[in-house]
Amino acid sequence: MKKIFFALVLVMVGVSYFGKSAKAQSEEELVQICTMIAGDAEYLKDFRIKLDAGDPPPVQRFPIVLKKDVKYRFSVCNSKDFEGKVILQLFDNNRQLATTYIVATGKDYPYIDWVCTKTGAYHLVYSFRDGKAGLAVGLLSMVGTM
Amino acid sequence: MRKKLYIYLLIAFTALSQILSSCNSCKKQDVDLSEDLVVPDSVVNYTPPQVGKAVTEQMMQNISSPVETAALIKGLKIPFNKNFLANTKHAENFNTNFEKAFALGLYGCDLGYLNMYEKTSFVVDYISVIKRLADDIQVGQFFDFSTLKRLATNNENLDSLILISQQSFNRIDTYLAETNRSMLSAVIVAGVWVEGAYLSSRVAQISTHPRIRETIGEQKTILNFLLALLKVYERDPSMAKLINDIEPVKQLYEKVRITYEVGEPEMVEENGVVTFKQTDKQIIEMDDELYKQLIDGIQQLRSKLLKQ
Repeated sequence: MKKIFFALVLVMVGVSYFGKSAKAQSEEELVQICTMIAGDAEYLKDFRIKLDAGDPPPVQRFPIVLKKDVKYRFSVCNSKDFEGKVILQLFDNNRQLATTYIVATGKDYPYIDWVCTKTGAYHLVYSFRDGKAGLAVGLLSMVGTM
Repeated sequence: MRKKLYIYLLIAFTALSQILSSCNSCKKQDVDLSEDLVVPDSVVNYTPPQVGKAVTEQMMQNISSPVETAALIKGLKIPFNKNFLANTKHAENFNTNFEKAFALGLYGCDLGYLNMYEKTSFVVDYISVIKRLADDIQVGQFFDFSTLKRLATNNENLDSLILISQQSFNRIDTYLAETNRSMLSAVIVAGVWVEGAYLSSRVAQISTHPRIRETIGEQKTILNFLLALLKVYERDPSMAKLINDIEPVKQLYEKVRITYEVGEPEMVEENGVVTFKQTDKQIIEMDDELYKQLIDGIQQLRSKLLKQ
């Protein structure tokens, strides 16, 4: 009995102390990776996306302001700890303007560029392909002015 | 007796390991626990209006960005002008947390302008003021002063200077939202906008480039988003005053007419990079008199808020 109790306590100590060191990929690390994916583009803002599995696929929306004559870069970066592969769709009201996943070709892009010709409100809509659970970071950066 | 002592020791060891692991996680997140002991003056005297998570999620994420404004100005080949910037000595004029948050945005915009033009010799002065203002509103821990100072002093890796400046401001924004101080976040945004509009107005006085005229005109759209954000907190007397100060400029902007021609975006793939090109057109209509009034109105607003 004493041995079982001792073993139980050891397991508890191990889980509580050493379990923390086997840490999952953090959002900050994902931001850094995403910044590298964005290359020379100037960082503007990052968006943290964490969604549970669902059907229809759950989405996370971020309203943003984009400015005329600026070329933006939208990068995405998935956490290796989750199965979900993130998709970004850029909307202007209800119209899809751009996406990182082209359904017709099945191609997935780590970043896309957007040449803006109208200053105004846009919506970034993030979801995970096939409604899988996922953790990702989206990055908005500026390639330059036109 | 000995068995009991043995069990107590094990329990104490377990508890200690839990505490140690908790402290470990705090250290990893770079959280200065001493900051938690500081009670913000807004909590002591007055609680600003609180906004639910659902509302904040609907708010515009980047109403005004110092990087884009400065890049647009630089893109027009307008030379750097130090006189456009707010003097760092004026930072002493800001006393309350509300005013300091506004100043933080204002000097943050100037920092963006300096970074964009790579004027590192002035940067240290501005980051020192920004750090002091950030400390005063208990968000200084998110402003990476030492790295920024090193980058500016050694004139090294200017892209990192912009990246760290932007990330510092974004972390401040996130932290303020998490600690129910979103109102200060909105005030910072207002500071960035006022200074960005001011810089554009100064450029408008020396350049006849049509794009700068358009930049002044399109502030109507951005100001509408900003006011929508500020009005969420209009029950706060300081916020009500700020909205009131902006009102004359808002009234001038009501005379600006903006229309759009809608087009379908085009997708081009070159060397594996996909670029979507918007084909919408924005048409901004205002006469010369209104243009001049807008420039004057923006400059008067900035002068008032800077307490010059």
